[in-house]
Amino acid sequence: MRWYVVRRVVWAVVATFLILSITWGLLAITPNPAAEQMQFQAAASGGSAEAAEEAFEARRGLDRSPWVRYREYMVNMATLNWGWSQTRSQPVIDAIASALPYTAIYSVPTTILSILVGLSIGLYSATHQYTRTDYAATFFAFFGYAIPNFWFGIILLLVFGVQLGWFPVVFDSDLPFFSLGMARQLVLPVIVLVTGTIAGIMRYSRAEALEYVEAEFVKTAKSKGADGYRILTRHILRPAAVPLMTILVGDILGIFLAASYLVEVVFGIPGLGQLSYNAIIAQDTSLVLGTTLIFTFISVIGNLIQDVAYTVLDPRIDYGDR
Amino acid sequence: MPSGNDRRSDSGTAGRRGRRRRRDVLKLIGATGVAGLAGCSGNGGNDGGGESSDRSVQGTYVSASSVDAQSLNWLTIADATSGSYVTATLDGAWAIKPEREIFPLWADYSTDDGRVYEIELRENLEWGAGYGQMTAEDWVYMITNVFQARPNWSGYPNADSWFRMNPESSEREPIPVEQTGTRTFEIRLFEVDPSFPFKPVLWRQQCIPKGILEKYVPDQDTEGLQQDEELNTLAYTGNLGPYTYEQWERSARYTVTRNEDYYLKDVEGVPERFTEAPYFDQQVVRVISEESTRLGALESGEVDSAGIPPDKANRFENLPNVNVNVTPQPYARIIVYNMRANGWEPFRSKAVRRALAFAVNKETVVQNILRGYGQVSQTMQPKWSQWYVDSEVEEFGVGDRYGPEATRSRLESALSDTEYAYDGETLVDGSGEQVTLSIYYDSGQPTEGTIAEFIAQEFGENAGIDVQPEAVSSSTFQSNYVQTSAPEGTEPEWTAGVFNGGPRDVATSAEPWDMSINLQFNTYPFTPASSKGFFERQGGINYYGYYPDSDIAELYEQASATTDETRRQELFGRAFGLISEEQPFGFLAMPSSVSGYADNVRGYDEEFNTGWDSQTWYFA
Repeated sequence: MRWYVVRRVVWAVVATFLILSITWGLLAITPNPAAEQMQFQAAASGGSAEAAEEAFEARRGLDRSPWVRYREYMVNMATLNWGWSQTRSQPVIDAIASALPYTAIYSVPTTILSILVGLSIGLYSATHQYTRTDYAATFFAFFGYAIPNFWFGIILLLVFGVQLGWFPVVFDSDLPFFSLGMARQLVLPVIVLVTGTIAGIMRYSRAEALEYVEAEFVKTAKSKGADGYRILTRHILRPAAVPLMTILVGDILGIFLAASYLVEVVFGIPGLGQLSYNAIIAQDTSLVLGTTLIFTFISVIGNLIQDVAYTVLDPRIDYGDR
Repeated sequence: MPSGNDRRSDSGTAGRRGRRRRRDVLKLIGATGVAGLAGCSGNGGNDGGGESSDRSVQGTYVSASSVDAQSLNWLTIADATSGSYVTATLDGAWAIKPEREIFPLWADYSTDDGRVYEIELRENLEWGAGYGQMTAEDWVYMITNVFQARPNWSGYPNADSWFRMNPESSEREPIPVEQTGTRTFEIRLFEVDPSFPFKPVLWRQQCIPKGILEKYVPDQDTEGLQQDEELNTLAYTGNLGPYTYEQWERSARYTVTRNEDYYLKDVEGVPERFTEAPYFDQQVVRVISEESTRLGALESGEVDSAGIPPDKANRFENLPNVNVNVTPQPYARIIVYNMRANGWEPFRSKAVRRALAFAVNKETVVQNILRGYGQVSQTMQPKWSQWYVDSEVEEFGVGDRYGPEATRSRLESALSDTEYAYDGETLVDGSGEQVTLSIYYDSGQPTEGTIAEFIAQEFGENAGIDVQPEAVSSSTFQSNYVQTSAPEGTEPEWTAGVFNGGPRDVATSAEPWDMSINLQFNTYPFTPASSKGFFERQGGINYYGYYPDSDIAELYEQASATTDETRRQELFGRAFGLISEEQPFGFLAMPSSVSGYADNVRGYDEEFNTGWDSQTWYFA
């Protein structure tokens, strides 16, 4: 297994290099709207569009050849000098370090809650198939899945923030991370994300668990007098958890990569999603590549964890001969 | 201590001699004769118009911004938000009051001829971080070594403003700037320009201590300058602004605290309300990118001010805890006609453009689409501007100068010698097909989309032309429709840059188009001559291929070069009259800027450029 993990890590490094190169190339050939806007403004007030373009390029260091810029950037990446963010006027490392905790502060509880609630409802539905509660859980799951996070977040804010005043409308980044105030302002974003993610987990865990509810070994365990909790956790959940790992890792990545931006925009959370999106819009090359690296890293680690989890949960999987 | 709004007492910091000479210039350029330009006095607005006795220093003023700043190092920025962050801590040379009067901040100016300007700094200007007194040396060093450096190694976005055409050499050269004393320096323009003090080159111009710049100038160290910690944390601002930098938490909030040593409290000749300014203990800008959240925060009282889109303004007007403030702004909403080879050729005819000006009801645009938050537009100046002369401007799209009959009869006559003609109520081409034109609008602007739909409807009903609205993103529009060039391998007779790549028969945009409303054009009410490039065949912005019938640019130039105020008004009045007559664009409206303020905020007013004295705003 060790050799397998080493090979996986080497491949991850190659993949990261390719992803960064492609992202850099795309940014380099895309015209920058900010530059065009500046040129237009300069020309509209009687100045020179060319001079405005030159100034923009000088500020961004774009007056050097693409090869020089690419080489310098890759060397910097390898030496962990991730460069200077032009649109935030701070080192990229600082930008990521300041944004990451804000994404973690809501995505960690979201992940835990999604897994707990999703699995619980899924297992309950599986063991109480075609009952009213099963139908209710299914409805809940589809509702959460179908409702757009962006819209749902705004509605929750308007109702519970503006109208009822139960929760603050504006995210206060000044509050200590582990405080009641912080927890209070995270309630709505977490609800939005949880309703969006538990659907998948619940439906998959229900389907996987149903495979084992009527399995022979479950019947055997029942006949040997195992109680319901033990049957559920040891005999149904454990084999069902192997395929579920894929869903869980996918969901966590989903929170980081897609949902985070929507929620961060609506609730004004200065996290990684906003950071990455704004960097792309402004074509802040260093920051785009820095955040890309973080997302790549999360994906790689997530996949590694998933594979390692397979071997732990299912002894039949053996990596010894790979 | 003097009170009231007029800061032109005889005992200002700039001294009697300079002040008198500037006053003479101000008379020449009409600054004293334009009270009521925006309909308000501009001295503190809704606190009753005079000095208020209930001002006191208190509270934290929180405003909402849709975007964050990019940097606090103002040498490297070009966006308005970054500029506003810096302005809270650094005043700049002077402000312009809504009536187009100069209000000296750090400096005052004097001139005898409108060509040579002497700038005199106040005595009590102190840098922070141990850089001592602000002197003329700081200014001259910055202008000559950074702004006017060739190449522009610092990337300063407004560097071009510090170069002008020298008629003697016919070259663009740096404007000569020379130190004349510890606190005085002289700017010697090549030609007379009475509008010079109103241009951004000096208006609110900020400065950086020589001690910081000389670390980077010798080696032209761009990276060092960009990443300088003192510049990026505004550590050098001393007593030079109403507030002091405290914290910038990116994408979340920007916080500044009251500057106890603000230089304006120690000077004579300013209205009393400035001597204790600023009146907020703290100011915070909260970055809230989502509009609903921003407006929700204003409604719930979590922020004290936020911009409001016109279609939501009515709801806020009914809220007891929010006051809606409507101010004029300088941008005109216009229909741009593509007169280049890939547009509809009849747009090249003045008579056709004039006929089409009868087709769109401008009052409906203002009242129904902009919900009343705007004014009808007829030429390249707002109606409230001192340069707008009623008797010169020809009105279209209002009253009896609007409607199907008025449009069709004129269009028929204008197209009489072409293949186009009316078939009943429909305008058809030579093959009998109805004329179909495109109109482009910004896909991210719902109000703009509604305007495009309305124009299409009006053209259909009143001109018999089928108009198809097309949405494009702003970046696509810039690159595919605004940038014009001659086909590869073709050498155009002339070129005036990316937005006017050559003669209209040769240079076109990458994609064909007929009409667009994507861009709003600045009318520059403070410096009207700045819009000259829109109306010249070889102007810097002429992506639409307009060839004027009369020499509008010449009128602009004459007006720019005269210090005789009456003559200037007359010349600009005639130029804007000709523009309305020629209809280079279909002028529609000038939308207002709508903001919401918490009901206890005082100081703002319903006038152009409100906020010039925001350091005197306060909580009631």
